[in-house]
Amino acid sequence: MGSLFRSETMCLAQLFLQSGTAYECLSALGEKGLVQFRDLNQNVSSFQRKFVGEVKRCEELERILAYLVQEINRAHIPLPEGETSPPAPPLKQVLEMQEQLQKLEVELREVTKNKEKLRKNLLELIEYTHMLRVTKTFVRRTVEFEPTYEEFPPLENDSLLDYSCMQRLGAKLGFVSGLINQGKVEAFEKMLWRVCKGYTIVTYAELEEPLEDPETGEVIKWYVFLISFWGEQIGHKVKKICDCYHCHVYPYPNTAEERREIQEGLSTRIQDLYTVLHKTEDYLRQVLCKAAESVYSRVIQVKKMKAIYHMLNMCSFDVTNKCLIAEVWCPEAELHQLRRALEEGSRESGAALPSFMNTIPTKETPPTLIRTNKFTEGFQNIVDAYGVGSYREVNPALFTIITFPFLFAVMFGDLGHGFVMFLFALLLVLNENHPRLNQSQEIMRMFFNGRYILLLMGLFSVYTGLIYNDCFSKCVNLFGSRWNVSAMYSSSHSPEERRKMVLWNDSVIRHNRVLQLDPSIPGVFQGPYPLGIDPVWNLATNRLTFLNSFKMKMSVILGIIHMTFGVILGIFNHLHFRKKFSIYLVSIPELLFMLCIFGYLIFMIVYKWLVFSAETSRVAPSILIEFINMFLFPASETDGLYPGQEHVQRLLLVVTALSVPVLFLGKPLFLLWLHNGCSCFGVSRSGYTLVRKDSEEEVSLLGSQDIEGGSNQMEDGYREVTCEEFNFGEILMTQVIHSIEYCLGCISNTASYLRLWALSLAHAQLSDVLWTMLMRVGLRVDTTYGVLLLLPMVALFAVLTIFILLLMEGLSAFLHAVRLH
Amino acid sequence: MLEGAELCFNVDHGYLEGLVRGCKAGLLTQQDYVNLVQCETLEDLKIHLQTTDYGNFLANQTSPLAVSTIDTEMRKKLCREFEYFRNHSLEPLSTFFTYMTCSYMIDNVILLMNGALQKKSVKEMLVKCHPLGRFTEMEAVNIAETPSDLFNAILVETPLAPFFQDCMSENTLDELNIEILRNKLYKSYIEAFYKFCKNHGDVTAEIMCPILEFEADRRAFIITLNSFGTELSKEDRETLYPTCGKLYPEGLRLLAQAEDFEQMKRVADHYGVYKPLFEAVGDGSGAKTLEDMFYEREVQMNVLAFNRQFHYGVFYAYTKLKEQEMRNVVWIAECISQRHRAKINSYIPIL
Repeated sequence: MGSLFRSETMCLAQLFLQSGTAYECLSALGEKGLVQFRDLNQNVSSFQRKFVGEVKRCEELERILAYLVQEINRAHIPLPEGETSPPAPPLKQVLEMQEQLQKLEVELREVTKNKEKLRKNLLELIEYTHMLRVTKTFVRRTVEFEPTYEEFPPLENDSLLDYSCMQRLGAKLGFVSGLINQGKVEAFEKMLWRVCKGYTIVTYAELEEPLEDPETGEVIKWYVFLISFWGEQIGHKVKKICDCYHCHVYPYPNTAEERREIQEGLSTRIQDLYTVLHKTEDYLRQVLCKAAESVYSRVIQVKKMKAIYHMLNMCSFDVTNKCLIAEVWCPEAELHQLRRALEEGSRESGAALPSFMNTIPTKETPPTLIRTNKFTEGFQNIVDAYGVGSYREVNPALFTIITFPFLFAVMFGDLGHGFVMFLFALLLVLNENHPRLNQSQEIMRMFFNGRYILLLMGLFSVYTGLIYNDCFSKCVNLFGSRWNVSAMYSSSHSPEERRKMVLWNDSVIRHNRVLQLDPSIPGVFQGPYPLGIDPVWNLATNRLTFLNSFKMKMSVILGIIHMTFGVILGIFNHLHFRKKFSIYLVSIPELLFMLCIFGYLIFMIVYKWLVFSAETSRVAPSILIEFINMFLFPASETDGLYPGQEHVQRLLLVVTALSVPVLFLGKPLFLLWLHNGCSCFGVSRSGYTLVRKDSEEEVSLLGSQDIEGGSNQMEDGYREVTCEEFNFGEILMTQVIHSIEYCLGCISNTASYLRLWALSLAHAQLSDVLWTMLMRVGLRVDTTYGVLLLLPMVALFAVLTIFILLLMEGLSAFLHAVRLH
Repeated sequence: MLEGAELCFNVDHGYLEGLVRGCKAGLLTQQDYVNLVQCETLEDLKIHLQTTDYGNFLANQTSPLAVSTIDTEMRKKLCREFEYFRNHSLEPLSTFFTYMTCSYMIDNVILLMNGALQKKSVKEMLVKCHPLGRFTEMEAVNIAETPSDLFNAILVETPLAPFFQDCMSENTLDELNIEILRNKLYKSYIEAFYKFCKNHGDVTAEIMCPILEFEADRRAFIITLNSFGTELSKEDRETLYPTCGKLYPEGLRLLAQAEDFEQMKRVADHYGVYKPLFEAVGDGSGAKTLEDMFYEREVQMNVLAFNRQFHYGVFYAYTKLKEQEMRNVVWIAECISQRHRAKINSYIPIL
């Protein structure tokens, strides 16, 4: 209870770690997760700290490991994931590990480089064969269709006109052929035309099968082109343009035999390359498989190691340089565990001197630690979204467990929907150890983390659904209605009674479309329904009016109770921090302010419910008018709810009006009096100076420690207890702002709580609409088709209910509940 | 563009503007520079850069680090961001981006032509090109022998084509001509960009026009400064000045007549904006150069561009600031690697 109600008590501890064993000790501490380290080297930049070299080494290891993982993933080898997280490696193993990893990396890089080279070679050869195949058809075509080429056949047949020896012989006609990326063809052709001014003939054809791009590894379409050009100058330009567009240019054979020879040679080389490539890949796979076994645990180990060195960077050295000093925050309850972890660490490293710790008193505010279990975690998260409370403050998460689902349920109140939600949450809770749930995607994870919230929300919704008597927008008649229609007929009453009352007879029933039940007639209303709202209201035409008034009043009452509760929690906080004056000067005026206005409103509502019965309801005054009159002091006398109402109201207003200035000025004036007037009043003086002396001692204590420490001078200012400058204006300002915020907040929050009513109304209406739009249509069609139609209708109804109502409404109600908190 | 860009700006460009402002917040701060200057080795520099928005952009580089790798990686990062902006932009912002790349393209073309003149291989030169100004036809630049060749064959279809109207000539491309070509291209580029921004109107014009005016004037000053002692005639010099700056027309005419630095300074004295810049230039070793002063002024204008919303200037300003930051980091890295710590502090601080 204590740990739930307030955060843990913390204390500042100083750890003296022998420099030889510091690593092991921290490793042991890290496995326990007990403490929070304070950075003692804040003004030392990150690269000037002691263990920066080690951190760098860890980073190097991380880089290698990342490379390994990348390669392993690329080879599609599954990474075995160890369930356990191995502890940080002992220092002796680190070097070994580093060596191993480095060797592995070098080997791997070599092999992959070879592989890449081979692949590139292979690709080029394949491209070449494709090119030869395609260009063969070009030549044939050109011979057939282009008359200009007919002058050259003798030249073309001449084997001397090889492309490679063309320049040497000064020949005029040349060919350049190769492959070009599909996207660049157009620009390439244009540029060729512009530069060479038409002295070239370009033919190209698309390659059917896409090939890999050797540079990016992307699989794309290629074009094979053949450029025939005239003249050497242009030849140079063409080649440059080819370079510019990253074409893959291959020598072009001029004769058929040559072509055949090259093709044969190519095919054998491709075969050879394939076998070599396969062998390399096999070897690579072996290496990677071996690496994959240990890589996961290595990654974690290195991460832990890096974390340890980061922590060590936060420690400072003492004078003798033999010992590291760390300052940590630790929950008081677990100091002995901390001690044990330290002992363990020093035992493991076999140090002569054990590391030890002592606690040091401090004036600083410790960090807030709130322990959670899987049930409270979700609620704590909601509370943390508003801000983490300061040290030892009352933790509202405890109350949120009840209030949050309750407020949600008030808005979501529906038996059926609540039950569906409850079932869903139950499913999640029962399967919470299922591994797939833990790793599912974001939205699912959100539901999973909030499973206990959902469970409670479902449960509470079932309850409020029962109260509202709402199940998928229909009523459930569990106990039988307490309204009796037959009593409205004249037969059951004695004659003298009949004269006074308006009763039904045949003509009334025939001529009126709407009939009114009168509760003041005996026998018509037989007392309240046992649980919630009477199902007869579902049939009534004034159902909405009735529910509205009921829900509105209810939400106002709930809201004010909730807010009052918040103020009372504040009192607990003040009590705990020994700020009695805050209770008298802040909390009590706040309470008075709220209760005198809104508490009185509640009182009026309840009073009206209790006092006025069905017979007297016609004379009952409107609460709204009464409430407004309370502020306006009307001249005309009206009969109030009760005798003497006016005086009570005047009194309450005076109290409210008085509490406002107290709220505004009380605390600042009191603090001012404390500050200035301590010389006049003995009692307050002693207490005050005691505090002062205490803090002075603290300062001197710390100062002496600094002299001892020697190297600690830098954080002198950081650790010094900050003596707060007394600034009256500032305190006054904050208090005034706080008060205004509170007074306005009271009113606007009350209005806010009306959203409870609005949303529950919206929810009920929406589900009602869904019912009438879908199910009614399905049910109204005659039987033969009806059955056929009803099936998809029911399915549609179910789907829509789940999606619109449960998810959407649930989400909006959830958001509003969050808002109200 | 209609009046009141506030109404519809965010529909098309709101996302990108938000993004660029976020990126701007990731620029190195004064504290970062103080830390960077303290670094002993490039490794330290790398570690410190890791804590900034650069992240582990150098993580995959095996040591030892070279300054050039840092430079290329930083450029790559900027280029990635820029490409992202550009790919997600709508008209007329995408045209604006195209204009921004043009200056880098001009630089690249000139660089490649110079390379070709010195018979260096294209591959070698390509590495030195700025990735923002890269385009496919670029590699074929060395085919051309005259400017009109260059235009007709290679650059016709690039965004650079409109800027070529003034510099079509049949001169062979020697070093001086290339330089003249560069300046002429730049002149028409800046004028076109200025016109674009002016026509766009609204806040964009209010922000971008002063920046471009300054850029134009800076070029005019630099051209004048560089032309002292060369065979460039005064008439030719005047044709190179961009005419959209504050100096136009009187200042430019005076500048064209200037014969040494003192005369140039006298021209600048007529203009309130440039007077302090010239006055701050000192002779001593620790003093700032004119170029530094111009850079500082540019940084100042670019930072101020972020004070207003709903305009394209932020993209320009961000790119320029990032470039300045890269120059700073490279400067610091150079100083560290050459153990020349005396001048390490003369980077241009980005406010």
